[in-house]
Amino acid sequence: MTDHETLARLMADADVRQYDCYQCGKCSGGCPMADAMDLKPRGVMRCAQIGSLGRILNSNTIWLCTGCGACADRCPHDVNVPALIEEARYEAARRGLGRHDSEVLNKAFVANIKAFGRNHEMLLAGLYNVLALKPIQDMASVPHMLKKNLIGIKPNRIGATREIAELIERAEKWDDPMVATGRSQTPEVKK
Amino acid sequence: MKRYAYFPGCASESTAKSATLANEFVFGRIGIDLVEIEDWNCCGATSAHTLSSALGLALPARPLARAEADWPELDVVTGCASCYARLKLANHRVRADKSERYMVEKIIGKPYEAKREVLNFLDILSDPAARANIGAALLRRFKNLKAACYYGCLNVRPAEITGAENRENPMAMDEIAALTGAEPVEWGFKTECCGAAHQNDAALEARPLAGRILDNARACGADVILTACPMCQLNLEMRQGEYIRKREEKRTGKARFPLLDMVLPPDPEQAIPVLSITELLAVAMGAGGRRLALDAHFVPVGRLIAGALGGRESEAIL
Ligand code: SF4
Ligand code: SF4
Repeated sequence: MTDHETLARLMADADVRQYDCYQCGKCSGGCPMADAMDLKPRGVMRCAQIGSLGRILNSNTIWLCTGCGACADRCPHDVNVPALIEEARYEAARRGLGRHDSEVLNKAFVANIKAFGRNHEMLLAGLYNVLALKPIQDMASVPHMLKKNLIGIKPNRIGATREIAELIERAEKWDDPMVATGRSQTPEVKK
Repeated sequence: MKRYAYFPGCASESTAKSATLANEFVFGRIGIDLVEIEDWNCCGATSAHTLSSALGLALPARPLARAEADWPELDVVTGCASCYARLKLANHRVRADKSERYMVEKIIGKPYEAKREVLNFLDILSDPAARANIGAALLRRFKNLKAACYYGCLNVRPAEITGAENRENPMAMDEIAALTGAEPVEWGFKTECCGAAHQNDAALEARPLAGRILDNARACGADVILTACPMCQLNLEMRQGEYIRKREEKRTGKARFPLLDMVLPPDPEQAIPVLSITELLAVAMGAGGRRLALDAHFVPVGRLIAGALGGRESEAIL
């Protein structure tokens, strides 16, 4: 599949049409993360218009977008930029272009659910800090949380953990493009 | 008595202790019965859908399907904006798209028709009957308490899912807070994202989002920020010490060892307390300190409540 076709598929999955966007910039203007993004929401739409999939997939934008929806809500033409960003994130991950810290967090998060059915914040934050090599991030809050019994050492476990683990496996298989649609893995893009 | 199927969310079991105790107290007083969904699981929050779109729908769909089977006549309610967004989205997509419903049912291994609504606490507190009951249950009145009501992004957006009419300046929480005598302020960050989703994996980039909300609330004269989500609450509160320290470091040019935040609480002159809307209601309904966990806040709330209630009244609470 060429980049052109892949982009068309991402746009279709996100239900976004590139020429709905007339580059007014309202999305970037209201985006709380725009400061830190190397490609702002309007830029994502511009790249979609000119077919520059590689720039989207290699941007930090797709990993920094919080999904807050401000851009889509304010867009005069109802362009759902975060939906496109989400599809781009899946494509980037498929191509091995994931952002390390995001991957560490999200995988630890899902592993946590798989093991216990619910999330355990202390375990998650601790696991993340170890795996991402950020030992002191947020750790200043831990004594207060322990003292006030806000977090315990005991995980929040539910009865149906096995059922949840199987659910997660089925969902992950469903998303695998090989299984779901018979499409083959898309090739690497150049930066 | 009005009943809802209740999805507590993971935070209710740990960091949202004070809000959870307040929720129980308030809903008990106003005749709302929350029936906890049996064996509910994590909705996947902001992480699961980042990895897999199928998982992002299936995780919230499982407890919803369970609620539908056990309590077919009840709407589902949750007190967390992140859970609300995921549950509501799953409900919406399953209802709107047959192929998504097929996928979800296959993955969760249960039938799920998305017949009932998903609501948040602001929805059920704004119900006219609930509002009348709140009015009748209030025992104390706050004075000179300026409150910045913070709704957060996911309680209102995306509009086609939440059905929220006003995403820039919602008023539901302001109106509820005003019942207690608190004075809601006009401010600019009611629905700005606080960045909670990325405070772990992109801390450097996400910290300013919370900081700007704190600054705007103070600049608009608020004494307290009210929230309707434990994630927003934790994010705005827990990292305030760090935020204030960094701001001071920038101003004075002197750095301090970060872990000192552990022993030094945030400077009370600069910090702004954060309460959940239900905590405010609970105090106004006469809840004592033992019923709530007001001492569990990262930013102490004692001075605020003492000031707004007058000395004798607040002694009973704190
Ligand atoms: S707000 Fe909408 S039309 Fe304007 S630049 Fe952004 S996506 Fe394009
Ligand atoms: S959804 Fe993403 S791109 Fe849009 S305003 Fe929010 S953070 Fe920015």
